[in-house]
Amino acid sequence: MIKTTQWVAICLVLCLSVSTAFSQESAAPSNVTAVDTPNDDGSSITIKWDAAAEDTGISGYQILRRIADGDLEEIGGLLPAETTNYVDSSIQQGTAYTYIVRAVTEAEATVDSEQTAPVKGTGEWFHTGKTPLFVAMLLFSAAIVWNIYNARSGKEIFVRRIPGLEAVDEALGRATEMGRSILYVLGLGGVDNVATIASMTILGQVARRTADYETPLRVPCNEPVVLNVVREVVKTSYLDEGRPDAYNEENIFFLTGDQFAYAAGVDGMMIREKPAAIFLQGTFAAESLLMAETGNSIGAIQIAGTDSEHQLPFFIAACDYTLIGEELYAASAYLSREPMLLGSLKGQDWGKILIFLTIVLGVVLELFGVNWITTLLQRVS
Amino acid sequence: MKRQVPLALCFLFGIVMILTQFVPHKYVQALYKEFIDWGLIISPFALVLAVITLIQTHTTRVRRRTEHWQYSFLVFAGMIIMVCVGVPFGEQDSVFVWLYDNVQVPMDATMFSLLAFFIASAAFRAFRARSFEATLLLVTAMIVMLGNIPIGDLVWNKVMSWTPWADGASGARQWILDVLNSAARRGIILGVSLGVISQSIRIILGIERSYLGGGD
Repeated sequence: MIKTTQWVAICLVLCLSVSTAFSQESAAPSNVTAVDTPNDDGSSITIKWDAAAEDTGISGYQILRRIADGDLEEIGGLLPAETTNYVDSSIQQGTAYTYIVRAVTEAEATVDSEQTAPVKGTGEWFHTGKTPLFVAMLLFSAAIVWNIYNARSGKEIFVRRIPGLEAVDEALGRATEMGRSILYVLGLGGVDNVATIASMTILGQVARRTADYETPLRVPCNEPVVLNVVREVVKTSYLDEGRPDAYNEENIFFLTGDQFAYAAGVDGMMIREKPAAIFLQGTFAAESLLMAETGNSIGAIQIAGTDSEHQLPFFIAACDYTLIGEELYAASAYLSREPMLLGSLKGQDWGKILIFLTIVLGVVLELFGVNWITTLLQRVS
Repeated sequence: MKRQVPLALCFLFGIVMILTQFVPHKYVQALYKEFIDWGLIISPFALVLAVITLIQTHTTRVRRRTEHWQYSFLVFAGMIIMVCVGVPFGEQDSVFVWLYDNVQVPMDATMFSLLAFFIASAAFRAFRARSFEATLLLVTAMIVMLGNIPIGDLVWNKVMSWTPWADGASGARQWILDVLNSAARRGIILGVSLGVISQSIRIILGIERSYLGGGD
């Protein structure tokens, strides 16, 4: 009888030991890998492991790091139980690190994974994730350069009529006849903003005409660097037209760098000086309607243009003509009629056709359950 | 020479800045940060010139006694007070912060508030049903406005219960914003993006040089 009881006790202890050992085995993070984070500057290492089964009772993970034969150090604190990767951004480049992922159970017991192989962070010379974007950029640039090259041959290029730009001469003529000034507002963008540069190119063309007509051109700026570039643009336009005497530097001035103070200042100029024509070209935010409505109230002919799509409805409602988005960038080519600039517009149209075809193809393929275009585009974004 | 050097610099920096978007290596990223810092260094010099033109403009206004010339003294007073408080004591100084919070912020808020009235007057003009397009705009705007107010759903469910939008006016509003509005916006954004790339290529290659003042 005693013998039987002893055997039962031994079996129970064995079962308990095996089950505990088994439970620890299953709780230990598995398939732990540490790799140099792809497409970065070499400043991080990514540690990955498999998600634990639901019944293992794991409440979180700790990441332990070791340099060569040094001591283990904990990094990143306690990670949530559902975590399966961690990016260590506190590494020294060129140093090899090994990692252990420690699972912490609800009973505050800990189980360590196997130690990973040593890994170093190295910087990549090309971001492979951006390959489709790079290829698209090359193709689009090639299309533009090809069309510019072709345009040099003198072949005439058709450009659709843009009412907003057709109206420039009308606006300038009206101001000249009325003996009033022209107000040109470049918006809030700095000189690093492409829309501001596009606006400057339109200003250059406008300034050539105002030099001819001897109409005062007033340009309040809200960015110091823009002010200096704009002065140079207008001055050169007057020089090119042979009217350096008509150029008045005082008409191009710094108003303020503050958004609403700038709007107040421009509105004040509109009310006091009552310009006959107002150009609102560039990047705008909430102040767009404040200016456009004031310009409307004084009866000025207004030509607006912006790439800020949220402000376009305001300009359309309050201005006589509006250059919508890309028309702002086409303005320089349209006004100057220079073949090389017009050629770039044609290249731009090729890009639009390519995007349009991609969208149509993507939609059709999605209808048939094929989603590789969608996946590709999601990867790029 | 005066024109060729800026064009060469523009080409060089343009190409390098494009490369920084595709090369994550630390040397290239360090170059990118360096160039950005150079840009920041230029700004203070330009600011000095800007402040000088501001003073010149208002001095001229005072000298010539143009309309509302008296307000120019307010500009000088504001500038002198903020410089006297801000430069020696820093922008975290309590007096500087008080002036900012109690002068600058309320004035900004006042201008921003005016937007409500300007929106109303612009909307009144835009929504006059003079053509098919304007009528369409009016109807769409009415639905969106109805969807933004609590009573909108109630009115919609009483009058327009036959429409496919179960959530009432708020559902119709959301559909207009998510489908029609988003489609139009994305079209504009695509055009703008291509325009930006095209303009950038023209500038980098030196074809577009009117920002340098035009001519050759």
